[in-house]
Amino acid sequence: MLRLLLPVLVLLGVVGVTVVADRPMPRADFTFINRGDVTTLDLAVMSWQQDFRIARFLFEGLTKNDIFTDDYEVKPAAAERWDVSPDGLVYTFHLREGARWSNGEPLLASDFAYAWRRLLLPDNAGDYAKLVTVIKGAGDFYAWRTRALSDFAKATDVPDRAEAGRALWRETLARFDRTVGITAVDDRTLRVELERPTPYFLDLTSFAAFYPTYRPLVEAYESIDPRTARVRTKPDWTKPPKLVCNGPFVLSVWRFKRDMRFEQNPHYWNRESLAVRTIAIPSVQDGNAQVMAFRTGAVDWVSDVTPGYRADILAAKRAFYREHQVEYDRLVALGLDAQDIDRALPSDPRKNIHAFPAFGTYFYNFNCLPRLPDGRDNPMADRRVRRALAMAIDKDSLVRNVRRGGEPVARTLIPPNSIAGYTSPKGLGYDPAAARALLAEAGYPGGKGLGPVEILFNKDGGHDLIAQAIARDWTENLGVAVLLSMKEVKVFRDDLKNANFMTSRASWFGDYGDPTTFLNLNETDDGNNDRKYSSPVFDALLQKARDEPDATKRLAVLTEAERLIVEEDLPLVPLFTYEQVYLFDADKLSGISPHPRQEQNMYLMDILGDGRGLDVPRSMRRRSAVAAE
Amino acid sequence: MLGLIARRLLQLPLILGAIYTLTLALAWAVPGNPLENPEGRRPPPEVVEAMQAQYNLDSFWNFYSSYLHSASGVKWVQENLSGEAARERAAADAAGVAPPERRVFDLGPSLQYRDRNVNEIVAAALPVSVTVGGAAILLALVVGLSAGVVGAVRPNSLADVSTLAVALIGISQPTFVIGTVLQLVFAVWLLWFAVGEWGHVSNLVLPAVTLSLPFAAYIARLTRMGMLDCMSADFIRTARAKGVSETRVLLRHALKNAFLPVLSYLGPATALAMTGSFVVERVFTVPGMGQHFVNAVQNKDLFLIIGVVLIFATMLILFNLAVDVMYRWIDPRIE
Repeated sequence: MLRLLLPVLVLLGVVGVTVVADRPMPRADFTFINRGDVTTLDLAVMSWQQDFRIARFLFEGLTKNDIFTDDYEVKPAAAERWDVSPDGLVYTFHLREGARWSNGEPLLASDFAYAWRRLLLPDNAGDYAKLVTVIKGAGDFYAWRTRALSDFAKATDVPDRAEAGRALWRETLARFDRTVGITAVDDRTLRVELERPTPYFLDLTSFAAFYPTYRPLVEAYESIDPRTARVRTKPDWTKPPKLVCNGPFVLSVWRFKRDMRFEQNPHYWNRESLAVRTIAIPSVQDGNAQVMAFRTGAVDWVSDVTPGYRADILAAKRAFYREHQVEYDRLVALGLDAQDIDRALPSDPRKNIHAFPAFGTYFYNFNCLPRLPDGRDNPMADRRVRRALAMAIDKDSLVRNVRRGGEPVARTLIPPNSIAGYTSPKGLGYDPAAARALLAEAGYPGGKGLGPVEILFNKDGGHDLIAQAIARDWTENLGVAVLLSMKEVKVFRDDLKNANFMTSRASWFGDYGDPTTFLNLNETDDGNNDRKYSSPVFDALLQKARDEPDATKRLAVLTEAERLIVEEDLPLVPLFTYEQVYLFDADKLSGISPHPRQEQNMYLMDILGDGRGLDVPRSMRRRSAVAAE
Repeated sequence: MLGLIARRLLQLPLILGAIYTLTLALAWAVPGNPLENPEGRRPPPEVVEAMQAQYNLDSFWNFYSSYLHSASGVKWVQENLSGEAARERAAADAAGVAPPERRVFDLGPSLQYRDRNVNEIVAAALPVSVTVGGAAILLALVVGLSAGVVGAVRPNSLADVSTLAVALIGISQPTFVIGTVLQLVFAVWLLWFAVGEWGHVSNLVLPAVTLSLPFAAYIARLTRMGMLDCMSADFIRTARAKGVSETRVLLRHALKNAFLPVLSYLGPATALAMTGSFVVERVFTVPGMGQHFVNAVQNKDLFLIIGVVLIFATMLILFNLAVDVMYRWIDPRIE
């Protein structure tokens, strides 16, 4: 009998030891579920929204956006002030006296120069390296280093590759200091020269990719790969307790796929403004479990609500508004923002779901190349065909009956009202008759001779339902046959890259508050121009905008460029603006901004009624309206 | 006995080598570029090229040999014997930079989680899975054995039929149904357990119960069958004739023999339970190994795919060995 018990005892021991070794921590002041697991905390290679969200409260840039103003007002952050030369080409930032790293060391202007150099270096393969090229000499430097590395990799007759790699690195550093317009004048002054006037430059300095990096720490992890001469950064420095940051919070625990925990940075200059002491992010991936975690009170905010019944809880919210229609209309008429309306209405669990328009658009690509990779003629090369297909999609029905989430229908690529001062073009409406006429004009009367039109999309995410709805619209309105092609996401991406599609689903989220964050991806030879759209007129308009010193005129040029995309040439057809769906109790939590750009800053979070912080709800401020008065 | 253990341990690297070759060949054949994001921005082509060179993704044989070299521990041994490791450490100390981290079995970086390597990922996830899986197997053993014994003592009684019914549910219902129902009832309605956190002993209960059900059901049926066979055997009649008490007959004579098939099932079952279940982990937010089996394939994260498969294979082989050893110990007749 004892022998039989042995396996049981062994198992019991194993379970017991691991349970005892793993102690739970007390609940943090503010707990939220991020969009997904963090990929990296290295600012130079960061690319995901969930990573940037954390970067914005671990680090602090020269400037920051006030997310509670309609124009994302740029405010001083690590820099207390800045001067701009009259021609708009030179920015001089003055760091504030008390700005420090979390280890107590002062924040230096050279920390920014170092971080921007890392961001720009092709070695690091950062997705946002190209953003630095607004700075003088940065584009040339990037091209030069890329070429040098490629030559190095090809060279076979180098006796000591390690030494040659180090020599190339020394040359690179010297060249950067000599040619790129980033200068640390002294410890607290950073001078930046731009290639040309860039009205959104302060928006870039507020963007997390431009935040500083603690040089002594990261440099210790850099080495030159003797084979490729590239600088490699070993990633271990991003984990606690090694990570040094300059933002409101510091990372105290990071257990992979499990949780992250943050505490206030004792050396942060503006610590009095913080209303929570600790922040925790449990890693909950399942959409249903996320909702349950909120309902049981384990988390304060779910930042991306994704269960299958999302449409139903959104419908419950609308039903709640209908029950209080009179009061609701009165509050809307007062001009309150969505959260203040919720706060003014009676308490109800249905109130906790919140949907805000996001800074992203769901659209369909048309392949604009005359031939497909397999040699077939591509009917989508004719812009009349593209326009006809675009006008034959009933977007209202798509949003109402297929998505069922209440997303706004999109006629433009850039979400309307997301960028202050920018006027969106009108775009094309739903017009099956005009679409049929246009298709006949293109040589396909009644859809004859065209087709089958192939729609490429990836599995999951409900893309199949949207493709089916569009296929039905095209078949019923235009008489064209449609072929649905569903691929695994990796294959889908390969096909997109190789232009191996006629039409495909696509989406894009903007990075900074300027129309070019959306429009650039239609420029000839842009790395993300999946449509292979190439229009000299469009390219010339973007160039004209680059050369236009007057901000208002510049935006008008960009409106014209977008009009070309969404009314004339249709390399893509916008379908709907994404919606960000959150779960939080507005009566209990303040700090979440309804602004369409949907950046949320955790350092603004305030648990109402806990006696810490303002304990007064934050509301949107309309600045552009005030200016107009 | 020692011969058996030695023989099996010698076989281990050969088997793992074969599994590695097969897994890599299959994972390599999966279409798509592991260095591309599933959504959004695309890295410039020269960058992709350079990264492919860095990870040896440009050639199957380069990858095959370099991975084998570092994962098998050969590289570690070589570097330490040749003094290269010591030299680099000294150089790093002199330059004031972080010394290179060396692992005996270096399973490589994760292509998707840029700040992590596969060793770290496994080190974080495996203990969690072992805990949940161990608890689940424990539960399955207790529940399964008792249900089996009850069923065998009074075949076709109400107790037998109801354990059969529970066993059927345990086997036929997918864990995502059972898990979600348990979570809804005990965590959301009754608020006995928390959702979305990991660390408390109580967080272990629901996932372990969910995970244990199919195993418990199988063990119950195995035990019942074994017991029924035994109960009609001659040695049981002899024992009863000698006046041995019924409890002793059941536990000492019948169960001991009926347990052998359960034991052989226990080897692979424990390995399976302890390497995690994707579904159970997702439903209950368990930070275990199971998610990596699925996610790594979806992301074509080559290093992680091979890493988790090799860990699973190693555990399977070791547990089977443990079972064989125990088998001989419990029943010395077996050669």
